[in-house]
Amino acid sequence: MLATLLSATLVALDGRVIRVEVDVAPGLPGFTIVGLGDASIREARERVRGALRNAGFVHPPRRITVNLAPADVPKTGSAADLAIAIGILIGSEQFTPRAGRAALIGEVSLGGEIRPVPGLLPMVAALARRSVRRVIVPADGADEARLVDGLEVVPAATLVEAVDALRSRRRAAPTRPARVELAPAAAASAGRPGPALAPPLPPPDLADVRGQVEARRALEVALAGGHGLLMIGPPGTGKTMLARTIPKLLPPLSDADSLSATIVASASGEGPIHALVRTPPFRAPHHTSSYAAIVGGGPRLAPGEVTRADNGVLFLDELAEFSRDVLEALRQPLEDGRVSIVRAAGAVTLPARFQLVAATNPCPCGHAGEDDRCICGESVPARYVGRISGPLRDRIDVWVTLARIRAAVMFDDAEPESSDVVGARIAAARALQQARPGGKLNSRIGSRGLRAVARLRPVTRDRLSELADAERLSGRGTERLLRVARTVADLAGADAVEVEHLEEAARWRPPSSRPVMALAV
Amino acid sequence: MLGVGVGPDGLDGGGRLPGGTADAVPMAPLREQDREALAVLLSVNGLGPLTLGRLVDRLGSPAAILETAAGIGGRDALVEGSRAAEGEWRAIPLALADAIVTAAADRAKLLDQVTGSGLRVVARGDAEYPPRLNAIDIPPPALFVRGSLLSLTVARVVAVVGTRRPSPAGRRIASRIAAALSRAGATVVSGLAIGIDGAAHAACVSEGVPTVAFIGGGHARLFPRAHDRLADAIVDGGGAVVSEYAPMVEPSKGTFPQRNRLISGSSDGVVVVEAGARSGALVTASWALEQGRECFIVPGSIDAPTSDGCNGFLRDWHGLARIVSGVPQLLDDLGLAAAAGLPAPLGSNATRRQTAVGKEVAVRSTVELPSAKAVLSGRDPAQLAVAEALVHGAVTVDELVAVTRLSVGAVLGALTRLEASGLARPIHGRYEPVGPLAAADPRAA
Repeated sequence: MLATLLSATLVALDGRVIRVEVDVAPGLPGFTIVGLGDASIREARERVRGALRNAGFVHPPRRITVNLAPADVPKTGSAADLAIAIGILIGSEQFTPRAGRAALIGEVSLGGEIRPVPGLLPMVAALARRSVRRVIVPADGADEARLVDGLEVVPAATLVEAVDALRSRRRAAPTRPARVELAPAAAASAGRPGPALAPPLPPPDLADVRGQVEARRALEVALAGGHGLLMIGPPGTGKTMLARTIPKLLPPLSDADSLSATIVASASGEGPIHALVRTPPFRAPHHTSSYAAIVGGGPRLAPGEVTRADNGVLFLDELAEFSRDVLEALRQPLEDGRVSIVRAAGAVTLPARFQLVAATNPCPCGHAGEDDRCICGESVPARYVGRISGPLRDRIDVWVTLARIRAAVMFDDAEPESSDVVGARIAAARALQQARPGGKLNSRIGSRGLRAVARLRPVTRDRLSELADAERLSGRGTERLLRVARTVADLAGADAVEVEHLEEAARWRPPSSRPVMALAV
Repeated sequence: MLGVGVGPDGLDGGGRLPGGTADAVPMAPLREQDREALAVLLSVNGLGPLTLGRLVDRLGSPAAILETAAGIGGRDALVEGSRAAEGEWRAIPLALADAIVTAAADRAKLLDQVTGSGLRVVARGDAEYPPRLNAIDIPPPALFVRGSLLSLTVARVVAVVGTRRPSPAGRRIASRIAAALSRAGATVVSGLAIGIDGAAHAACVSEGVPTVAFIGGGHARLFPRAHDRLADAIVDGGGAVVSEYAPMVEPSKGTFPQRNRLISGSSDGVVVVEAGARSGALVTASWALEQGRECFIVPGSIDAPTSDGCNGFLRDWHGLARIVSGVPQLLDDLGLAAAAGLPAPLGSNATRRQTAVGKEVAVRSTVELPSAKAVLSGRDPAQLAVAEALVHGAVTVDELVAVTRLSVGAVLGALTRLEASGLARPIHGRYEPVGPLAAADPRAA
């Protein structure tokens, strides 16, 4: 008998509704799945076979053919497991579902439990768009699925519960065969909320960062305007610590941004998710990360770090150590706010509106500028930072160099400002920018818009051209100066950019663009 | 040869160039063809001042060497010609003779390299040849000069050298010493390296007086490139960039210590500002002692790695090396009591200066360096406060904020204004005074 059910699969960040057709026919016993499935779909045969048996159902000794339609959409992952298992039960007439369109999403275990899958949120959303009224989801994913309005979410922890939810009339649960649990509970319930093995460290507070007022200010300015930030300094000067304070400094996401952040989190397998993601994401991939890990891709078109940092911050520690390919690939997302992944099977475009924050040592040994400790040649430090290519450096508005602070500063009594205080200033400055026509952060306004919002008075305009001349700034460099100055003015709550804002912003230029004002090095 | 560094005689066994010592015999004026021949011969790899001097002795003149080389059977003629009758010298190796023959054939190209890069060849015997260099063990037969060597004929020539990786304080001290020496009428020479050398040259340029840089390679291989502009400014300021090497000679590990003998040899005294344990500046100091020049060392904390070499040198050569206890004291010790053009004050006119321990010492020097306030006259208070703090040794924005009690934004703005007028600059996350501000006296009112 033929059973037809609805399920969904994930293509990058999008859910796609698929039709699961299960034909249980007389003939030589066999189990075939067709319809452009990947390896994990082919392995569904083994999971489903075990799940049916161990849940107390019968895996029918018949010829089972599963077709996943439409045939041209590549299907990945284990989200169709549940639909396949239920399809076999219906096809072999082990139970009769009640009428009505219901969809099923979930991976089954050999024991018959239903496990959460990545991308539940976009998949359920896709079903809702297709007017599906009822969806059966893994119990752990119920909160996530319920973020979608317009359809009934039925959580099911086991195959038996799923059958109960679908069947026309209740009947006693089948007896389960005896089995032995040896795996510890935590491991068996992988994916369920519980004590994580390595809980992330809580972000430090800015009050914990001693000294480095220049870098603190640079961070504040960068976050207030969404500007790219590069911190250059020897190890142990607080670059990474400053970066780790960012999650506490950024204002919560707006509703629209929050939904898209939640979808990205869901599709990236960060689930189960229990509420909309309100905290801007902070992603810190290691410098050995591969191209696919950063940009996205792989057979499943998984979102990369640039997409996972959408609406948040992408922090690249040891920037100069990242591979050239990876750094070059940041160009498109930095310019367009999205990233295109082209595969033989087709292309997808994913959002990637992240703010770039990066840190690097000044030279390979890390100690340039520290008396005799640097073992690099004289021209090495300049070359090291020079490895950051032009297009990337053009997208970094705020550059700051950190020096080791003296112990006296480290242990003095002055209490540095806390994240709450600085975060409030950042939020206020961002609110000012978003209240302007267009509502864009300063880092994303175009040249014309920038001139309009700068509101330069003649005296300020003169000073800008003086500074640009003195520093031999290019047109782009001058614009960058004005852009950052606009943010400094926003932090001060000033309506127009004044000379003092320009002069502070002038400190955040890239060191290489600085002509040698002094003759001697 | 003193214990530190490499001698000039890496080329040969430590012998003196015949007739090359401090003789008072005036040398015959050089013929133009000999000057050109010298320029060609100095491009020959392996032909140093010693062997060249020996060949000149045997064959009569530099031009004669080239003629011999260009003649039929030039190689063998050179080898034969270089053999001394008494067998005191061995003949030159065949490979060297070959190289000379090749150079003789390339004569036009090699001369083009010299004149093409705007260089002049100043040879021994020329009036412009630095007089003090005649008195050293192995004077270079000729110098490749960009600019003018006139400033090396003044009454006092002082070398200011030190590490390429100085502390911010070391940089300021080098600037102050060089500026004070300039104001007292002395010419400062150094090695154009980054760090102390560069700070010393830059201070002279900013004072508007000539300074002379001896470089450790050919002019076409100027190193470090970061000092291209400084080299231009030195030449424009009436000073010179000088090399004993032909334009295309690559600077190498061996050329720098050899060059150091010219820095000390062209001066009356050498001042070492900061030097790590293995710094080349100590080689220059050793040369100074060897050549009978004064040697002044700026002492440092025993914990400072940038002063390890200075302190060690003072310990090893106590009695010979002198200590720099202050800029006026240094000028006194060098006999530079008065500003240029002013009569030297009599002993009774000595001013009393208070030392750090409250003792008063007599200092005759009347050379004054300006205070930060004087340098900054007419500028806004924030700039003045930040400049004062920089001159007193604050280096990070943390320190500047703590000292000036200004807001971070105000300090950053003041730094921008100072930098735009060439008075301060950032380096590796720290700030330092440059230009006239680098030479400001922190103790001046």
